[in-house]
Amino acid sequence: MENKKNTAVVRACCNAMIPGAEGFEMIVCPAADIYETQDAFIVELDMPGLNKESITVTADARILSVSSAQTNEGTENGELLVNEIGKKRYQREFHLGTGIKLGEIHAEYCDGVLLVTLPKADEVKARQINIQ
Amino acid sequence: MSLVRWNPARDLAAWPSDLFGMQREINRMFNNIFRGSEEGEDYALASWTPAVDIAEQDDEYTVKVELPGVNKDDVKITVESNMLTVRGEKKQEKETKKENYHRFERSYGSFQRSFTLPTAIVNDKIDAAFKDGVLTVHVPKAEEAKPKQIEVKVK
Repeated sequence: MENKKNTAVVRACCNAMIPGAEGFEMIVCPAADIYETQDAFIVELDMPGLNKESITVTADARILSVSSAQTNEGTENGELLVNEIGKKRYQREFHLGTGIKLGEIHAEYCDGVLLVTLPKADEVKARQINIQ
Repeated sequence: MSLVRWNPARDLAAWPSDLFGMQREINRMFNNIFRGSEEGEDYALASWTPAVDIAEQDDEYTVKVELPGVNKDDVKITVESNMLTVRGEKKQEKETKKENYHRFERSYGSFQRSFTLPTAIVNDKIDAAFKDGVLTVHVPKAEEAKPKQIEVKVK
């Protein structure tokens, strides 16, 4: 999809395996939808299997960062016949364009989806102009 | 250019324990290439494949399915002899115009996965819970399939 002005441009990201405490740790880049409403940019990320306390969202003037603790912690009973989910941590960063009210960014986690709302600054909102 | 659904978890999670999953993924990509993905394809008609873990315990199987953003009422679980099927649909509820999207990576549409479990199961005692985008199905084994301990008496 083409880049648009004022957008939250996404930094390239990929999944990775890094050495961790117990063997290798899997870091997954969660799939994201980014769209724009009249008042805000919305980022929705698929991050199933967490509770909201284990998710960290930070933002500075340039970067929005989303990360989580490991999923499936302490559920190691039985023999795994199929293993596609596994244990993993989510991590992803987004470059922020200008025109976002940093102080009013908020996030909610529901049904395995993290929804981050980045309100637009007033000067970038579309305005209706009266014709005189 | 055709759009190929990006699936973050599987490429790593599937390797090397589930080579068949990888095969499936490759087949899916080929299908997408040859069938083509038309411009303006209705996303609601697309299908996707959720990631699954199946664990075996002494008395039951636990099936976990990652279904982020799926409504509980849109999931159907059926059992036929030893075959467990989870199917449903992830609906896109928001009415945001396409031109307002900057990125569209998440999967929407219908999904289905079926599993043949290796031993007899108790159909009417299967229960399922849906929490934080993960569906967990507990499938109890039939009495005859549970491991039994037989005491050996040495005479």
